[in-house]
Amino acid sequence: MRKALVLAGREYLASVRTKGFIIGLIIAPVMMSGSLIVFLLFKDRVDTADKRIVIVDRAGGIASWVIGAAERRNATETIDTATGQKVKPRYAIVEEPSAADRRQQLLDLSARVERGDIHAFIVIGSAVLHPENMGEEGRIAYHARNAAVDDARRWFFGPLNDRIKQSRLQEAGIDPSRMPDLFWNAAVEPFGLVTRDESGAVGKERRSSEAEALLAPIVTMLLMLLMIMMSVPGLLNSMMEEKTQRIAEVLLSSMTPFEMMTGKLIGGVAVSLTSATIYLVGAVLVLQSLALSGHLPLQALLWFPVYMLLAVVMYGAMALALGATCSEPKDAQSLTFPVILPIMLPMFFYVLVAREPGGTFATWMSLIPFFTPLLMTLRLATPETVPWWQPVVGLAGLAGFTYLFVFLGARIFRIGILVQGTPPKLSRIVEWMIRG
Amino acid sequence: MNAVEVVNVTKSYGTHVAVEDLTLHVPQGTVYGFIGPNGSGKTTTLRMIMNILYPDRGQISVLGASLSRMVVDRVGYMPEERGIYRRMRVGELLEFFGRLKGLERPTPVVKVWLKRFGLAEWYDKKVETLSKGMSQKIQFIATVVARPELVLLDEPFTGLDPVNADVVREAILDLRSKGTTVIFSTHDMAMAERMCDFIFMIFRGRKVLDGTLASIQDAYGMDTVRVRTERGLSVLEGLPGVEKVTDFGGLQELRLLPGADYHSVLEAMVARTRVRSFDVVKPSLHEIFVRIAGPQAEEAGHA
Repeated sequence: MRKALVLAGREYLASVRTKGFIIGLIIAPVMMSGSLIVFLLFKDRVDTADKRIVIVDRAGGIASWVIGAAERRNATETIDTATGQKVKPRYAIVEEPSAADRRQQLLDLSARVERGDIHAFIVIGSAVLHPENMGEEGRIAYHARNAAVDDARRWFFGPLNDRIKQSRLQEAGIDPSRMPDLFWNAAVEPFGLVTRDESGAVGKERRSSEAEALLAPIVTMLLMLLMIMMSVPGLLNSMMEEKTQRIAEVLLSSMTPFEMMTGKLIGGVAVSLTSATIYLVGAVLVLQSLALSGHLPLQALLWFPVYMLLAVVMYGAMALALGATCSEPKDAQSLTFPVILPIMLPMFFYVLVAREPGGTFATWMSLIPFFTPLLMTLRLATPETVPWWQPVVGLAGLAGFTYLFVFLGARIFRIGILVQGTPPKLSRIVEWMIRG
Repeated sequence: MNAVEVVNVTKSYGTHVAVEDLTLHVPQGTVYGFIGPNGSGKTTTLRMIMNILYPDRGQISVLGASLSRMVVDRVGYMPEERGIYRRMRVGELLEFFGRLKGLERPTPVVKVWLKRFGLAEWYDKKVETLSKGMSQKIQFIATVVARPELVLLDEPFTGLDPVNADVVREAILDLRSKGTTVIFSTHDMAMAERMCDFIFMIFRGRKVLDGTLASIQDAYGMDTVRVRTERGLSVLEGLPGVEKVTDFGGLQELRLLPGADYHSVLEAMVARTRVRSFDVVKPSLHEIFVRIAGPQAEEAGHA
């Protein structure tokens, strides 16, 4: 064990002292949460160029209402009052009469969009007030180059429907001024479960937020993924490097293959623990400074280091065993994918687990040892209570698989480390694994 | 007591027999030279002694213990294809290997060795900045830094210039004088002749020589004559009783036929030219090596 620790110390220092590790500490979370950061950075960066939109009102009486609503919007929403800067585009809406040849009119308007004269055009069907079974005349059609994701289309939904509701109320003989009260949508607000507090009294329910329900679990799971990815591919590469540069033979003259593998695994775990400590302490400090420490998924954080340790050892043993079979760097390149695949698999369905963390699918998936580190951590970080036995069973399965991987990995490692000149073949690796 | 005992050891790679029924006894405190052509089984033998490769048959014991109980901390090994952590600092690297071999405070020993090899100022430098010769000396230090009782060096002189080769040679002899057993493989016959107490030659996986230089040379007898003549090589062709003439420029080496009388050879030579020197010697290790593993032996082996 002493020799394994000496090697672990070297491996650890060789990793954490590099610029790559420090840069990786900063870059990796940025890369992994890249889309979120880009969204936050650019969420207000919308195209502020004014948009000219033609409206063809075959129902009558709707266009003028929408034009009025657009003018109110232009006056109140397009300029940031604090900075005086334009933050949204103005909508210049122009009504045009419906032509006799309706198909030709659509073609002409489309040509104007193509030329850039107008941004889009809307055709309000003649029967839009009572659209049932009215086909095309019962709908409102928004035509633009990219209509499905056009912000303007989303805006039209409000004023158009307001006007339609108003007309329907008038037809029914109801005072349209009652419209806000009649159509006030009742929100279904999210709350957690009610429990007794420390004094035994019924506690106050806690309002749950999207951050708590989705963001915290996903960030915790991504952190676990990051920790595994920061050490496991590194172990594969360092093993391959030692093998191809013939350092392994020097080490094997001083220690057994098992000591060598153990030392490298301990080094890898230490690297992950260092990164995890930095990130977790950083996250706790940031959330505390923002008075958001209530969002900390404490139950998940308690299990986090245990799962992470076993995951790094399990995947690390596999990476080291496969790395030991490489004779050339290109061999390692071809082995990187099979090493990373089981780590990445939960990323394909974690959303299903996050949405129903207490469901059967989430429960079973999180008990599969390959997926336990990511998915159990994700479930534990949700506000939903995970029965106490599930993380324990997950841990037992993970520990069993970790032992199996280390055992089989050591068998491959012991032989693979000495084989030179031949690329790793699956059949030979399996043979070493079985026969030892 | 023998530092290494190899008894009836065989090792094969697939159908290729790398080492066949090898028996070897390396006495403690000696310098033992392994010679043999490339691919003859030297490295495989060294790796088996180090327990890096496992023999198919036979027993090996090192420093009185079987391989499974071998205390690797008492043995230093420098493989032929020397790997080194290029991004580590020199001192750090040597201290790491020292700790791996059980040294608790390796720094003072490392500094002594670096000073001895003229590398004291490289202590804090990265290994990747060293020249090839310097790297090789660092690898040698890494092998011996923990004062092992047995040192195995696979071709330690390859790639070293004469000055550095002398430094390493002196270090090896110094280790021997302090009781360390040294086994090294080499292609440098002159170095083996000068340094080794015992020489072992392996050829096609089989032991063909094993003993002191004198005993090996005695086995081949006084069948070699080194001559210098006024007319050089041209007058030596077709001399009676001569099996082979090897030309070294200013000197020619004659191998006599079995039973040939060197007085008759000298008389025949004097009849042709003026002879400046005529030395009857035992065959050199180089000559013995060529006789065993040279093209003629190869042809005989294939015939």
